[in-house]
Amino acid sequence: MSDAPLVFAPRPADPPPPSTIGVVGWMRANLFSSVPNAILTFLGIYIFYVVVSAIVNWALVNAVWEAENRRQCLDMVGRSGACWPGVAAWIPNLIYGLYPKDQVWRINTGFLILIAWAVPLWLPRVRSKVAIGLSLVLAYPFLASYFFHGGQQTLVWTALIALGATAFAWTWLTSLAEMRFGLGFGPLVARLFGAADDERARRIGWGALAALYVLTFVIVSQLDFVEVQTRFWGGLFLTLVISGIGIAFSLPAGVVLALGRRSEMPLIRVFCVTFIELFRSVPLITILFMFNTMLPLFLPEGVEVNRLLRAIVAVCLFASAYMAEIVRGGLQAIPKGQYEAAAAMGLGFWQSTSLIILPQALRIMIPSIVGNFIGLFKDTTLVSIIGLFDLLSMSRAVGEDTRWLGLFIEPFFFITLIYFVFCFLMSQYSLNLERRLGEGQRR
Amino acid sequence: MSAAIELVGVSKWYGGFQALKGLDLTVAEGERVVVCGPSGSGKSTMIRCINQLERHQKGDIRIHGQALTGEPKRDAPILRETGMVFQSFNLFPHMTVLENCTFALSWVKQMPLAEAEAIAMSHLERVRIPEQAKKYPLQLSGGQQQRVAIARALCMAPRIMLFDEPTSALDPEMIKEVLEVMVELAGTGMTMVVVTHEMGFARTVADRVVFMDQGEIVEQAAPEVFFSAPRYDRTRLFLSQIL
Repeated sequence: MSDAPLVFAPRPADPPPPSTIGVVGWMRANLFSSVPNAILTFLGIYIFYVVVSAIVNWALVNAVWEAENRRQCLDMVGRSGACWPGVAAWIPNLIYGLYPKDQVWRINTGFLILIAWAVPLWLPRVRSKVAIGLSLVLAYPFLASYFFHGGQQTLVWTALIALGATAFAWTWLTSLAEMRFGLGFGPLVARLFGAADDERARRIGWGALAALYVLTFVIVSQLDFVEVQTRFWGGLFLTLVISGIGIAFSLPAGVVLALGRRSEMPLIRVFCVTFIELFRSVPLITILFMFNTMLPLFLPEGVEVNRLLRAIVAVCLFASAYMAEIVRGGLQAIPKGQYEAAAAMGLGFWQSTSLIILPQALRIMIPSIVGNFIGLFKDTTLVSIIGLFDLLSMSRAVGEDTRWLGLFIEPFFFITLIYFVFCFLMSQYSLNLERRLGEGQRR
Repeated sequence: MSAAIELVGVSKWYGGFQALKGLDLTVAEGERVVVCGPSGSGKSTMIRCINQLERHQKGDIRIHGQALTGEPKRDAPILRETGMVFQSFNLFPHMTVLENCTFALSWVKQMPLAEAEAIAMSHLERVRIPEQAKKYPLQLSGGQQQRVAIARALCMAPRIMLFDEPTSALDPEMIKEVLEVMVELAGTGMTMVVVTHEMGFARTVADRVVFMDQGEIVEQAAPEVFFSAPRYDRTRLFLSQIL
C-alpha cells in the first residue's frame, strides 16, 4: 500500500432520542424529572387553578354588569361577584378627577399632543431626533400647563405657550420634510427660496422659524381657556402629571448631581453629597409632609405655593437624589481608560463626559433607571396623604359615594390593572431598548 | 532643530511615594526611543506625564520647544501634537471602528464628516483593516483593536506617537501584527516613544533604548551598545531576566 493519508469522513449525526425532544421531552425534563418534582408540579397546577378560578369567578363569571347602586349588586350576587357598574360610573372621575366635564377635552388634547410630539422619535429617516427630544422635554411643559390649567394670559405667558406651540409645529414640519425630502424644515424653506449660500440659507431658515413663532403667537393669544385650579385635578391624570414631571426632571437632575458628586471642586461635591444623602435617608412621605406643612411656615407672609406644586417639587427632589446614585453607579462602571483615551485625543471634560462616558453609562443603567421610574410612578400614590386626589384616593372615593357605599375592592382591582399596564409597558420598553442598543456591542 | 520632547528635572509623587525622580530626557525629532524597565520603574508614569494624563509636580516638559503649563486650555494645542496608544486599547465600545476614528476629527477639529471619514479610511488602510470599519470594537480581535487604536491616534495627525506597552495585553500571534504596523510607522520618520518589553522591536527599530528603574533613568544607549554592553549591573540583571 502507498502511504497516502486516510481520509476522515465524519459520520452523519443520529437524530436525538424521541423522549428528549418536543413537548413531551421538555415536560419530562422540566416538570416530571423525579417523583418530588412531579408532586410539586401537580401542587403548583392546583394552586394556580384555585387562585385563577377564584379571580375569574369573582371578576367575570359572578360579576354584576348592570345595576343602579350597590344594594342591587348585593341583592343579586352578594359578595361572590364583583359589582362593576360602580367602577364604570366612576371611570371618568378615576381618570380625570374632579376636572370639569366640559373641559376634559383639554386634557385629552394635551396628552394627544404629547404622543404626537413623541411619534417622530420612532419614525425612520427622521434625523433631528435629539433636537425633537430636547424640544419635547423643554417646550412641552409650557403648552401642557396652559392646556391643563388655562386662565388669563399675560404677555410672558403667551410668549412661552407660543414657544411650546412653535416647537411642536417645528417638530412635525421638520419630520415631514426630512421623511419626504431628506432636509430639515429650515433648509427646505431656504431651498424653496433659492438661497445662494450657506449663510443666506441659515438666515432664511431662522426667518421661517421666526415667522412660525409669530403665527403661533397670534393663534395662541386668541385661545381663551377657562382656569381650572389644580385642586380640581385628580385621578390618573394627576398621577401622570406628577410622575411625568418627576421622571422628566429626575434624569437630567440626577446626571448633574452625580457629576457634581464626582467633581474635584470641593464646594460642589459637598453640596451634592449633602443633597443626595439628605433626601435618600428620609422617606418620601416625610418629605411630602415637610413640603406640604412646614414649607409655608418658612416662606414670607403672603407667598402662597400651590399644594400640587409643593408635592411635585418634593417628588422631583426625592427622585433626583435616587437617580443621582444610580447614575453614579453607571459612571463608576466605565473604565478610567475611556476618560484617558478621550483626553489623549484632545477632548475636554464636557465633550468626553457627554459623548463618551454618559452614552455608555446610561446604556448599562437602563434597567435601574426604568426600575426607578416604575418605583416613582407607584410612589406618587403617597400624595394622597397630603390631600391630593390621585388615582388611589379617587378609587377610595368610590366607596364613599352614597350610591356605591362600601365598594372598595372593585375600584382597587381596577386601578391595580391600570398600574400594572403602565409599569409593565415601561419595563417591556426598557428591555426592548436594552436589546436594540446592545446590538453588536456585546463580547 | 529643537527637540521633539524635552524633560528637565521632572518629578512626580503619588502621595508620599516618588514615582519619578528628576528625569532628564531629550527626544529629537524623528527619533525612535524605546523605554524599558521593571514594573513600577516609572516608565508608564513618564509617558503619561508627557501627554499630561498625569500632572508632574516639579520640572519642565517641553514639546517642540513649547513648555506645558498645567492649564488644560493653554496646553491643549501643544498636546494635540502627541498621539497615545494604550495597553488596553481603550477604544470607545459604543462607536463603530470608523466612528472611533472620525470622532475627534469632528468634535475637536470640527471637520466635515465626509472629510473625516476619508482621513479615517486612509489610516485604517495603513493599519490594514479597512474592511472592519463598520464593526464595533468588541467584535474584533485584540490585535485588530490595537491597530484601530493606532489608526485612531494617527487620524489627529500627531507629530509624536506615544505607546504605553501596546502589545502587553495581546496573544503572541497578535503581537506580531501590531509590531509590524509600528515598524512601518517608524519607517515614515514619526517621532516615537515606546514603552515595551519587546526587545526584538527595540533592536530593529529603536535609535535609542532607555532603561529605567525606581523612577530614574539608569542608562540609555543605542540598541547595539545597550544589548551587548550594558554598563550597570541593574541593567544586566534585567536583560538576563527578559532575554
